[in-house]
Amino acid sequence: MNLPAEVYVGSFGYALGDRRFHVEESAAAGRLRSSSRDLREAGFDLHHVCDPGTSAYDLAKAAVKEIASLGRTDAIVYATCLPLNANAGDVSALAESRDVKCLMDFPAGRLQADLDLGEPIVVGLGQQACTSMLGSLRVAAALLATEPDWERVLCVTADRFPEGALYEQAFNLISDGAAACVVGREPAEFRLVTVHQISNGRLGQATDEVTVGTYFAYTHRLVQETLDRAGLTIGDIDWVVPQNTHVTAWRILARLLGVDEAKVWFPSMPRVGHVISADNVVNVSDLLASGQVRPGQRVALVMAGFGLTWQCAILEATE
Amino acid sequence: MTILITGADGYLGRHVTAALRRAGRDDLLLAVRARDAAELAAKRARLGRAEHEVIAADLREPAALSDADPRDITTIIHAAATIRFDVDRETAERVNVHGTTVVRDFARRCPKLERFAVLSTLYAAGRHTGEIPEARLGDAGFVNHYEWSKWAAEEKVLADGDLPVTVLRLPTVVANDETGWVTQRNVFHKTLKLYYRGLLSLLPGDPATPLSLATARFTVEAIVALLAADPGVYHVSPEPASLRTAIDTAFTVFERDPAFRLPRPVVCDRDSFLDLLKAAEGLRGSPLGDAIAPISTFAEQLYLPKSFSTERMRAAWPGYRAADPTALIGVVCARLTHEWGGHACTT
Repeated sequence: MNLPAEVYVGSFGYALGDRRFHVEESAAAGRLRSSSRDLREAGFDLHHVCDPGTSAYDLAKAAVKEIASLGRTDAIVYATCLPLNANAGDVSALAESRDVKCLMDFPAGRLQADLDLGEPIVVGLGQQACTSMLGSLRVAAALLATEPDWERVLCVTADRFPEGALYEQAFNLISDGAAACVVGREPAEFRLVTVHQISNGRLGQATDEVTVGTYFAYTHRLVQETLDRAGLTIGDIDWVVPQNTHVTAWRILARLLGVDEAKVWFPSMPRVGHVISADNVVNVSDLLASGQVRPGQRVALVMAGFGLTWQCAILEATE
Repeated sequence: MTILITGADGYLGRHVTAALRRAGRDDLLLAVRARDAAELAAKRARLGRAEHEVIAADLREPAALSDADPRDITTIIHAAATIRFDVDRETAERVNVHGTTVVRDFARRCPKLERFAVLSTLYAAGRHTGEIPEARLGDAGFVNHYEWSKWAAEEKVLADGDLPVTVLRLPTVVANDETGWVTQRNVFHKTLKLYYRGLLSLLPGDPATPLSLATARFTVEAIVALLAADPGVYHVSPEPASLRTAIDTAFTVFERDPAFRLPRPVVCDRDSFLDLLKAAEGLRGSPLGDAIAPISTFAEQLYLPKSFSTERMRAAWPGYRAADPTALIGVVCARLTHEWGGHACTT
């Protein structure tokens, strides 16, 4: 992907489901497939679940509100992992009205109105599962490349699991959550270096076991290809910010990639679990808050998702 | 003049028996393990040409060979063994070590004994690395109890030097013959299935590690040929294929199906593989943990590259003929994929 020379990413915000549970509580409540002991051994502790009245859109709005000064917004890229979260309407109304309008109550439109964002164009992004936020960065950068007058694109991802759903996917403890950031021409926390995606539709209905089984080779390939696209080597990467998944998986991947394990940054995992496609934003926010990022350092954001799909973005810290 | 074959109903025991019969040897005494008279009768019906040809012998018992007349025995082929890499220490000791002691003690009572052939394994070398001689080996430690027990069994027959012992260290048998037909699966086949099914994408081991993979036909021809050779240790090893070559060959076969779209596995170090195994234990109730477990007792050997000297074997067996290892892996994989049916991208 040839990005515009100067595209920046920053203004990170996120929001989590209202209720917080320990794995033991959720195991006892029947929200999990694995035992609480296995999930604890994997590195999970707490996760967040929405109240019945809280929607994915509510999470999105809360995440965007975390952004202190939004300014002029030319586009919104609104991404969801679950397709049903791309509609803010009451689906049950269809049965009575037989009018499909309730299936087109678009959350990005609501954001425009509720947060008084003006009239940015709206792009919905789906079918990228947990990698959606990284896909949003790519789409946002592409929009800026084709629209010379545009300055800023708001990227949002928001998901909550339906009531009654298991809060575990591929052995990961799930949290409802949303994340937001701005991709624009004005200097921000990071310069966007590149985004790369691999997908394999033949694994679209892969079991959890195959998802885990193929994780290492695909993630290794993803990072290598992303580095190649950017003309970088793994030695040029100062931080890896992955999704919140089994701690051992990234211990192994750090060795495979030749990265110091201490530079693999996902300290939020025990606190928030796997926040669907918001993990990178949660963790990169923590990384910035830690004060350890120096200008010029490069950060690789890495995600895998159902589909199966894998995405990696490389960011470079600004002054 | 009689050849006693222990473990005659095992995979190699059956092939050795058949080969000797094809060579015109009718003077066989086949020792098999049987829980009761009914099982013995069933094995006699399956294996024997005459009732007296098949005897029951549980080598875990000291008097296991009491039904065999030592006066007639000129050759013993000791094929009975447990060959599971995940065998527990007690079973390995009782079956492989004590069982060999029982046969050795019987051999000492055979006045006409000309050859006592003990079927061992190349893995008896354990944690040795580098060039492994066709000779008695020291204890360098072992990856699993199976390896240890086969080494210890060798020691039981080689230490005293009072018998005409031939130790045949056998390769990993991956097919019956060059057609790739497989009737006995082992960790080689199970590991390939993990890759085919998308359950594993790491490659444990040093990619350069030589693998001695052979057919049962090659192995049995070697056993029969080396019965006539001088006593001593022989490595029944064909030209090896490297671990990398084996995996690449397997994936080349898998990829003949255009729907098979999985990346080739990534080489990982020992610590990473041990981490993976430990994490897989945490996937309790998942087929993934169960699937990976069998290779855990073997994979560490792939980090201990070794090559096996075969000079004695080749000198003593002028008719040496082995399948090309890459071609063999290819035909085995082709057979297996047909048998396995769907892979990760179709199921």
